[in-house]
Amino acid sequence: MKQIPDKDIIIFKSCLITVEYPGIESSTKYVFDKLGIEYKILEDQTCCTGLGHYSDVFDQFTTSVLGARNFSLAKKYNQKHFVMMCATCYAINKKVANILNNKSEVREDINEIFKESNLEHLTYEKGDIDSTKNLFHVVDILYKKKDELSKHIKYDLSDFKIATHHGCHYCKVHYDDTIGGYRNPQILDELVEACGCETIGFYDFKRTTCGSGFRQRYANKDLSMDVTKDKLQSLKEDNVDILVHLCPNCHVQFDRYQNYIDDDCKTIHLNIAQFIAIAMGADFNKVIGAKAHTVPIESILTDLKEVE
Amino acid sequence: MSDNKSDLKIGVFICKCGGNISETIDLEALKASLNVEVIEEFENLCSLNGRKIIRDGILNKNLDRVVIAACSPISHEKTFQDYVQPLNAYYMDMANIREQCSWVHDDNEKATAKAINIVNASIEKVKEAHAVDPIIIHASDKVAVIGGGISGMNAALSLAKQGNKVTLIEQSPSIGGHMAKIGKVFSPVKIAEECGMCLLNPILNEVVWNDNIEIITNAKVISSEKRSGTFNLVIEKSPRYVNPERCISCGKCAEACSKEVPNSWNDNLSMRKAIYKPFSQAYPEAYVVDMENCDKCGDCLRACPMRAIKLKGEKEKFPISVGSVIIATGHKLFDPNLRPEYGYDRYEDVITQSELGRIMGVNGPTKGKLEKLSNGEVPKRVVMIQCVGSRDEKPEGHLYCSRVCCMVALKNANIIKHKYPNTDVVICYTDIRTPGMFEKYYKHGQANGIRFIRGRPGEIVKKGDNLVVRTENTLKRQFEEIEADMVVLSTAMEPSEGTKEIAKIMDVGTTEDSFIKEAHPKIKPIATDVKGTFVCGTAHDPKDITESIMQATAAASKVSEFVHNGIDIEPFIAEIIEEKCTVCGDCINFCKYKAMTMEDNQMVIDPMTCSGCGNCMTVCKQQAITINGNIDDKITATIDGMLEGKKDDERRILVFLDQIGYTAADNIGVNRLKYPESIHIIKVHSINRVRPSHMQHALENSADGIFIGEYPGDLMYDEVENKIERLRNRLERRGINRERIMFAKVYIPYFTGLANKLIAFDKEIAELEDKE
Repeated sequence: MKQIPDKDIIIFKSCLITVEYPGIESSTKYVFDKLGIEYKILEDQTCCTGLGHYSDVFDQFTTSVLGARNFSLAKKYNQKHFVMMCATCYAINKKVANILNNKSEVREDINEIFKESNLEHLTYEKGDIDSTKNLFHVVDILYKKKDELSKHIKYDLSDFKIATHHGCHYCKVHYDDTIGGYRNPQILDELVEACGCETIGFYDFKRTTCGSGFRQRYANKDLSMDVTKDKLQSLKEDNVDILVHLCPNCHVQFDRYQNYIDDDCKTIHLNIAQFIAIAMGADFNKVIGAKAHTVPIESILTDLKEVE
Repeated sequence: MSDNKSDLKIGVFICKCGGNISETIDLEALKASLNVEVIEEFENLCSLNGRKIIRDGILNKNLDRVVIAACSPISHEKTFQDYVQPLNAYYMDMANIREQCSWVHDDNEKATAKAINIVNASIEKVKEAHAVDPIIIHASDKVAVIGGGISGMNAALSLAKQGNKVTLIEQSPSIGGHMAKIGKVFSPVKIAEECGMCLLNPILNEVVWNDNIEIITNAKVISSEKRSGTFNLVIEKSPRYVNPERCISCGKCAEACSKEVPNSWNDNLSMRKAIYKPFSQAYPEAYVVDMENCDKCGDCLRACPMRAIKLKGEKEKFPISVGSVIIATGHKLFDPNLRPEYGYDRYEDVITQSELGRIMGVNGPTKGKLEKLSNGEVPKRVVMIQCVGSRDEKPEGHLYCSRVCCMVALKNANIIKHKYPNTDVVICYTDIRTPGMFEKYYKHGQANGIRFIRGRPGEIVKKGDNLVVRTENTLKRQFEEIEADMVVLSTAMEPSEGTKEIAKIMDVGTTEDSFIKEAHPKIKPIATDVKGTFVCGTAHDPKDITESIMQATAAASKVSEFVHNGIDIEPFIAEIIEEKCTVCGDCINFCKYKAMTMEDNQMVIDPMTCSGCGNCMTVCKQQAITINGNIDDKITATIDGMLEGKKDDERRILVFLDQIGYTAADNIGVNRLKYPESIHIIKVHSINRVRPSHMQHALENSADGIFIGEYPGDLMYDEVENKIERLRNRLERRGINRERIMFAKVYIPYFTGLANKLIAFDKEIAELEDKE
């Protein structure tokens, strides 16, 4: 397995998380603190362009310029690893690193732009950031510390029916870097199990996309909702209480649209960092950010019992 | 005969070639330019009359060396090597004044001048020649065939019938391979399915009865060492714990055994005992103990009336020496769990084609009755999914098509349709690939009511009691959900573990998919990159039984060529000077042809494998390697001969080509294309033999340019390219323009390309001279 760091980490801020579910960021920090992982969060970081890129607003070149700008922070703060909370930031940044390292013409054009703009300190040099060695998703870091999780668990969530939803941009874009399989991804299931719970394992439509498809959610709404509905129906049939996510975009698609698609469906949606933070006893308002959720998490998570 | 080079008596014999040469080249002028003992010309030197002229010249004038100024050595070198007897064959050289002179130049005067240079070069070359004898190696008639499936058995049988001694080595307790368990096999011509075992059994029996074949089961090759065309293999044989000489296959031991384990021969669909016989026609006809699952209770021992069982035993290692090896180690099937979306481990009624073959085999777990594994009912709808693991670009899948799965699915579908006409059979395919006569089989299947949907299913789920196959029907462009009560996965063929292991042990090249790689995909589809080692069957790539048998018999033929004719080897190969060699082993890794080995504290060069490229000589710190035939000096002499008498306003470019490049250059002449008279071609055994010092010598002795042509498929290509780059840098420091050396790719069929490159290079050199 690839080398996973537990220090020199920059947690890469995500627009969707900041705007939609800030509790994912605070939960990530909470869990990282418990596990003794050293990290920084930077105010001078830019958006990865993901949503705009996949909606054809930003082309690959613009995305790569912004990526190079963000990567320059590694040198500035002397922290060489970026850890993404969002699967789309993860996939986008990995692709940009590969382009910057392997396509010298693009790299030179970008550096030329920095030069013309008097931003030479942003200059990207080949190999500054390695897609595999320096760019991670939060789940990668948690996976490395999986065996230490149990020490910090306060609440036993094993009575709930738990299922997992693995984001496409984590599993299906950079196969070689994906931990836990990509055809039948298991990383979230394994992390949930490390908290002393069991997931329902395979369920119908487990491998299916959330349906958001970025602009599809707006441009082809019926198709987008149909896809989401397939999975929601399956979760309903299996009486799933908690669906565990690793991508805020999937999270939005399910949590915000669940009542719209089928208000009979009672599943709540938690990011893996939120799930672990809850199990570790984090405050619902201050850390988990429960109020940002459309499907109220307190509707399921009541009377938590402490582990013996 | 004299040893002093200046005293050597040389004869030059010039061929008019029926005007082909004499109409362009002024032979009188050529003859006038020569200062040798004998000069003769003749209409057709290659005729028997020509032979008389040459032989008389040699005998009457006591000639020491001979130059034949005629056509290309590629056409007639063997002829003239024979005609110069009793002179040593390598005391003769051919000056190619036809393909590379009279056929490529129009200006008689210039062509004649160049012909003089070519003949001069040959004269200087033969002066440096040493007498060497061709090396003929006779391979032993003992052959090892590794793998006792349908390919290995056929190869062994064919070899044995030709009188060779064969050792057939099989890893499992019985020969027979996959074909033994396949059940029915497809036959496109009869449009019918036939009993596989009925076809296999006679072959198996013949193998068993043939006195020239020794069968070693429960055994594998664990090491291999090659020496002068002999392979020393070490075989490790695992104990059987049952003496096959005594065992009468009564089966009382298995009755007594209380330990039940899944029967792998039935794809684990039934149980067998820890003491068992793999299948009823198995050979050796004896039971075997599966020691991993045996608890050594001794029940079998007490039940055996023949006292054939002994529960102690050690692995036994022994060496065998053979002249050639046939690799027939076969394939395994793709693990369906690597496609978790198909739920092979979640749903009992999702099975593989191999398991379906067992279920429908009369000697299988259900005695041939098609049953669902979950409840024993006959399925109402069977859906087959093609390309599971094949044509799959995602990691863990294979890019290639496994070639037989369309036919396998059609076969099993036809059998189901025949026996259970009410069962609906749907095949979900990517493309149906039924080449040749198999297309008729496909139509036959359609007529039988098999349904086809073009689309690769995304997943299989269970809804209630039924499986649901989700797929896109790509012809209708619509999403479909097919309810089924049995789903059959057509899994890819991939190289068996044994195939991967033997490739490492024998140092045989493999493809990116880990199949054994052939020496050349078009013209040497059976040889491997290790001389004397051949491949057949599915160890080579996915193929069906018919093709496996064809390749197995072809492999046997190739071995026979080896055994009966010996191998005639060009004598210009490397030799170790034992007194100087310190056995450091540095040369082993530098030899791209894998010709070097260390044996008994001694370096050994396999003459059959050595190409004479000379790479080892350059890395040997002790200078303990030499190459027969004085090649270095011959190349220098040829260069000097080519450059002799060069005038100031004249341009001479030396072109070095090996067999491939030289053939391409000949083709320019054969097709009467033109290139400048400045081009002088020198044939070398291996491009790597042209050393930097040779090139430097030429450039410092009035050569205007050097053109090196190399076939990119040559193992030494990269090496030569790097070497030339280094030489260019060195020459630059000595004030010689780096552009004077050209390195180009050459291909035999692309002779027009070579002609254009020669023309362009001549032009570049001319421009360079103008500038300087």
